[in-house]
Amino acid sequence: MSDNKKRLKNIEYAEAEWKKNVLDKRVGRFNLSKSPTRFYSPLAVSNFNFLEKVGFPGQYPFTAGNNPFDYWRAYAEDAAKMGYRPDWGAASGVGKYGGFGTAEDYRDYLIRMHSMGRTGGPNMAFDLATQCGYDSDSPYAEGEVGRVGVAIDAFNDFATIYEPYTGDLEIDRVPSNFTINAPAAIIIAMYAVLAEKRGIPLEKLRGTPQNDILKEYIARGTYIYPPKHSLRLFRDICVFCTQHMPKLNINSMGGYHIREAGATRVQDLAFSMSNATAYIQAGIDGGLAVDSFAPKFTFNAFGGSMEIYQEIALQRAARRIYARLLKERFNAENPRSMMIRQPITAHIGCSSTTLQRTLNNLTRAVVGGMAAGMSGGMPGVFPPFDEPLGLGHSQEAVQLQLDATRILIYEAKVADVNDPWAGSYFMESLTDEIEAKSLAEMEKIENMGGAVAAIESGYMQKAISKSAYERQKRIESQEEFVVGVNCFTGENEMDVNVNRVVEATYDPELLKSAEDRQKRKLAELKRQRDGKAVSSTLAALKEHARDENKNLMPDICECVRNNASLQEICDVLRDIFGEFQQARF
Amino acid sequence: MNEGKKMRVLMAKPGLDGHERGAHVVAHGLRDAGFEVIYTGLRQTTAQIVNTAVQEDVDVVGLSILSGAHLSLSQKVIDGLKNAGAEDVMVIIGGIVPDEDIPSLKKMGVREVFTAGTPVSEIANFITRST
Amino acid sequence: MKITKTVENSWQSLVDGVQAGNIRAMARLITQVENREPGWKDAMKAIYPHTGSARILGITGSPGAGKSTLTCEIADELVKRGHQIGIIAVDPSSPFSGGALLGDRLRMKKIFTLKEVFIRSMATRGTLGGMSQAARDVARIMDAFGKDVILIETVGVGQDEIEVVKTADRVMMVCIPGQGDNIQALKAGVMEIADLYVVNKADMPGADEVMADIYAMLELSSEAGQPTPPVLKTSALKNQGIRELVATLMADSTESNRHDDKEEMRIKEEIFSLVEDEVLRFLRRRWEENGEIAEAARQMIEQKKDPYSIVAELLNQFI
Ligand SMILES: Nc1nc2c(ncn2[C@@H]2O[C@H](COP(=O)(O)OP(=O)(O)OP(=O)(O)O)[C@@H](O)[C@H]2O)c(=O)[nH]1
Ligand SMILES: [Mg+2]
Repeated sequence: MSDNKKRLKNIEYAEAEWKKNVLDKRVGRFNLSKSPTRFYSPLAVSNFNFLEKVGFPGQYPFTAGNNPFDYWRAYAEDAAKMGYRPDWGAASGVGKYGGFGTAEDYRDYLIRMHSMGRTGGPNMAFDLATQCGYDSDSPYAEGEVGRVGVAIDAFNDFATIYEPYTGDLEIDRVPSNFTINAPAAIIIAMYAVLAEKRGIPLEKLRGTPQNDILKEYIARGTYIYPPKHSLRLFRDICVFCTQHMPKLNINSMGGYHIREAGATRVQDLAFSMSNATAYIQAGIDGGLAVDSFAPKFTFNAFGGSMEIYQEIALQRAARRIYARLLKERFNAENPRSMMIRQPITAHIGCSSTTLQRTLNNLTRAVVGGMAAGMSGGMPGVFPPFDEPLGLGHSQEAVQLQLDATRILIYEAKVADVNDPWAGSYFMESLTDEIEAKSLAEMEKIENMGGAVAAIESGYMQKAISKSAYERQKRIESQEEFVVGVNCFTGENEMDVNVNRVVEATYDPELLKSAEDRQKRKLAELKRQRDGKAVSSTLAALKEHARDENKNLMPDICECVRNNASLQEICDVLRDIFGEFQQARF
Repeated sequence: MNEGKKMRVLMAKPGLDGHERGAHVVAHGLRDAGFEVIYTGLRQTTAQIVNTAVQEDVDVVGLSILSGAHLSLSQKVIDGLKNAGAEDVMVIIGGIVPDEDIPSLKKMGVREVFTAGTPVSEIANFITRST
Repeated sequence: MKITKTVENSWQSLVDGVQAGNIRAMARLITQVENREPGWKDAMKAIYPHTGSARILGITGSPGAGKSTLTCEIADELVKRGHQIGIIAVDPSSPFSGGALLGDRLRMKKIFTLKEVFIRSMATRGTLGGMSQAARDVARIMDAFGKDVILIETVGVGQDEIEVVKTADRVMMVCIPGQGDNIQALKAGVMEIADLYVVNKADMPGADEVMADIYAMLELSSEAGQPTPPVLKTSALKNQGIRELVATLMADSTESNRHDDKEEMRIKEEIFSLVEDEVLRFLRRRWEENGEIAEAARQMIEQKKDPYSIVAELLNQFI
C-alpha cells in the first residue's frame, strides 16, 4: 500500500469512528433523522490533482481565476486616494447603462450627463419595440416606445444619439455597449455606417453588443426568428466583426437571465455553456479559426443566489468547463479564447431580493459581493437594495452598494487572495459536483442536437419553468426560507426604512410624448428618403437571405445606409425565416 | 357556487415584455389549486386579451407586466372589457408595479395588484374570496 | 369587436342572446351548459331546433403534432371562403387538482381577433362520457349562434379524446414525420374513426415515409371494396397544403351509406350517454337521501356482503 493509500485508509477509519461516537450520538440526542450539517475530509477529493483541477491564477484551466489580479485591483489603492466613482463613468470606459424616449431625448440626457462630468461611451438600452424588431409606428409598439430604453427606427436615430460623441469622446476613443439581441446585426451595421460617415476606420471601433439571442428564447422573450436562422445571423455578425471590427467584442453571453427566469444553478451553467457551444460552432461554420474570434466572446454574468458556497463553486466550475470546452473540443490554443471574460462574477441575482423589509437586500447583496471576491472577481455588491421596489435605483441605495463593495475591498481585504478556497476539501468536491452535473446536462442537450434543437423543442424553456415553479412551491411550503417573506414575519418584527431619493433621470413628460414624436420623425424620414433605393436594397437582402451561405451583413449595412427602417429590415427577414413560436409549456 | 362550476382564469402577457417566469409560476400554481387556466403566451395585444376573456367567459383576467407599461395597458384592457359588456370580469395584475401606481390602478378598476414574491396560494385565495 | 351590453344570466335570455348573435351570451351559455348548471337541459332543448346545419370536424393526433396550428390555418382559410367558425379546443384536466392549463390558443393568435371566429378552450374535467356530451352541447350552441363550421381539437391519446372526436361529422388524424413506428399503434381505436389522414410538418424530412406507412396501414386494414380515407400532406407552419385540405374537408360526402350508419350509431351513443348521466345522477341523489348507499357500504365494511350482491339488491327494485 502506498503512503497516500495508507493515509486515506486511516482517515476512512477515523471518519467511521467519528460518525459512530460523535455524530450519530448527537443526531440521536436531538432526535433528528439526519445531521443538519456536513463535514468534508480529504476523502471527498481523494484523487485531487491540483494542476489539473485548479492550476495557478491566469493559467489553464483558470479555476483559480483569469488573472493573478485584474485591472481594477492593480490600481485599487490609487482609486481610493482619488475617490474614484465607477458609476460616474471613466472617459475610456462605458458610461451608465440607460436610454429612454426618442433619440433626441436620450441625446439631450447624455449631453446633460457629460456636462456633469459623467462621461464614458454610450451604454444603450433599447425599448421593447426595437428589441423585438418593430418600428415605433407598429401596432405592437403601442405604449412601448421609448419606455424601457431608447427607440431606434432608422440610422438617423442612431446618429442623433452619437452627436455629443466627438473630440475626446469620438467613437474610436470611447467604447459603446448595445443591449440588443434579435436585431443586433442591424445595430452593429448602424455603428459601422456611423464610423464610415465619420471617416473612422472600422477596425478602431470598440464596444460590446449583447448579441446573445439564444437566451432570449429561454428567458427574456425578445426573439424574432426561429433559432436556427438567428444563429445564421450570429454567424454573419461573427465573421463580419472578426474581419472588419476586430476590437469589438462579439457578444456578451450569459446565464444571468436564464437563472432569473427560474433555472437552477446547474441548468443555468449547462444551458449557457450549450449556447456558447452553438455560437462557437457558428463562428467555425463561418470559416473562422477559433482563436481568431473566441477571444472576443464575453459573458455578462451567470445567475446568482444567496447560497454563497454554491455560487463560489459555480464560478470555479464555469471557468473550468469553458476552458476545457475551448481547448479540448474546439482545439483553441490562445489562452484568451479559453477565458470567461465577464464584468461581474458571483452575485445574488435580482431574484434573491425581496420587496418585504427591503433594506435586508443590502445584507443579501453583500453576501453576493463576498462570493464574488472569493471567486476571482471584484467583490461587487449587487444589486442596490431597492431593486424590487420598481424601476430606478435611489441615490442612497447606490451609495450603500458602492460603499459596501469598497468595505469588502479595503477593510475586509476580500480581494487580496486569489481563489482562497482552492484546495478546500469541501469546495473542490462541490466544484467537481457542479461541473459533473452541468456536463451531464450539456451532454443531454448535445444528444438532442444542441442548443438550437433544445430550444426549438421547448426543452430548456420547460425545464426552467418547472424549476421556477418548484422553487415557489418550496418557499410556500417552508421547505426553503426567505427571511421576512415566509418566516420571521410576526408582529414583533420591524420594517426598517431609509430615505430614498430617486433622481428624476428621465423627464416623464418627454416619456409621454415620445411615441408621437418618434412616429412623426419616422413618417418624415419615409417621405424624404429615396424610396427606390430602399426597396432595391431590401430586395437584395431578401434575395441573399434565401441563400444560407451568404453573409448578410453587407446587405444590412447597405439597407441602413439607405435609411431603411429597422422593422423594414426585420420584416424582409421575417418573410424568409419565419417567426419563432414558443412551444407550449 | 354550483357543484360543476370551475373557476376560469386568463393569464395574459400584454405588450412586448418577455419575462414569463411569473406568469408561468402563477399559471401552474392556479392549475394546481384547481382552476382552469387559459394561457396565451407572449406579446398579446389588449384587443386579443379582451376577445379571449369574452369568448372563454373567464372569471378573472390576470395581467403579468414587468415593463413599466402597466398603467396604459391595464386601462386598455379594462376599457375593452367594458365595451364588450364584460366589466364584471375581475382584472388583477402581477409583476413589477411601484407602490405609488397602485392607487391609480385600483381607481381604474384593477381589483388587486400582486407584486413579486406573492405566494400563489395568496392569489388563489384572493380569487376564490372575491368571485 | 362587437359592442354588446352585459347579458342577463337566465338561460332563457342567454338562449335569446345566442340567437341574436350576442357573443357574450354564447360564451355565458356555454359556461352554464358545461357546468351543468340548473336549467341547462331546458336551454339545450331550446337550442336544439336551431341546430343541424353546421359541419363538425374533429381534429386529433399525438401531442405536438401541430393540431392547433393546423386548426388555426384551416379556420383562417375557411373565413376567407366566407364561413363562420367555432373552435373547441380540448385539453386534459389534472387528475390531482381538477384544474387545467389550456394552451391551444397559443397557436391561434392569427385568428384571435377575427370576428368570424369564436374559440373556446375546454378541459376534460374527468368524466369520459360527460366530456363528449359537453363538447357536443357546446358545438350545438355554436351552431345555433350561426357558426357553420365547427372544429374540435383533442389530443388523440386517451379513450376520452376518441369519444370526443366521435361526435364530429368528419375526423382527421394528424400525423408527423418520424412517427412511422407509431402508425401501427394507431390502428387500434383510431383507425375506425379517422375519415382523413394529414401528414403535417411536411416541411421536415420524412413526410413521404409516414405517408407510405399510412397507406400501408390502410391497405392492410381496409375491407375489400371500401374506399380508403384520403391522405394529405400539409405544413401548417408554412401554410402549405391547407387549401387542398380544406377542400377535402368541405367536400360533400360521397359515401353516404356509410355516413348514415355512422349517424345512427352516433345518435344511439348520445342517447345512451345522456341516459347514463341521468340515471347515475338520479340514483346518486336517491340513494344518498334514503341512506341505502350508506347502509350498503356499512354491510361491506362489516364484511357481511360482497359488492356484487349489493348491486344486484340495489337494482332489484328497478330491473
Ligand atoms: N416544422 C413545422 N412545425 C410545425 C408545423 N405545425 C406546427 N408546428 C410546430 O409544432 C409545435 C406544436 O404545434 P401545436 O399546434 O401546438 O401542436 P398540437 O398538436 O396542437 O399540440 P398539443 O395541443 O399540445 O397536443 C409548435 O412549435 C408548432 O410551431 C409544421 O407544419 N411544420
Ligand atoms: Mg394543441
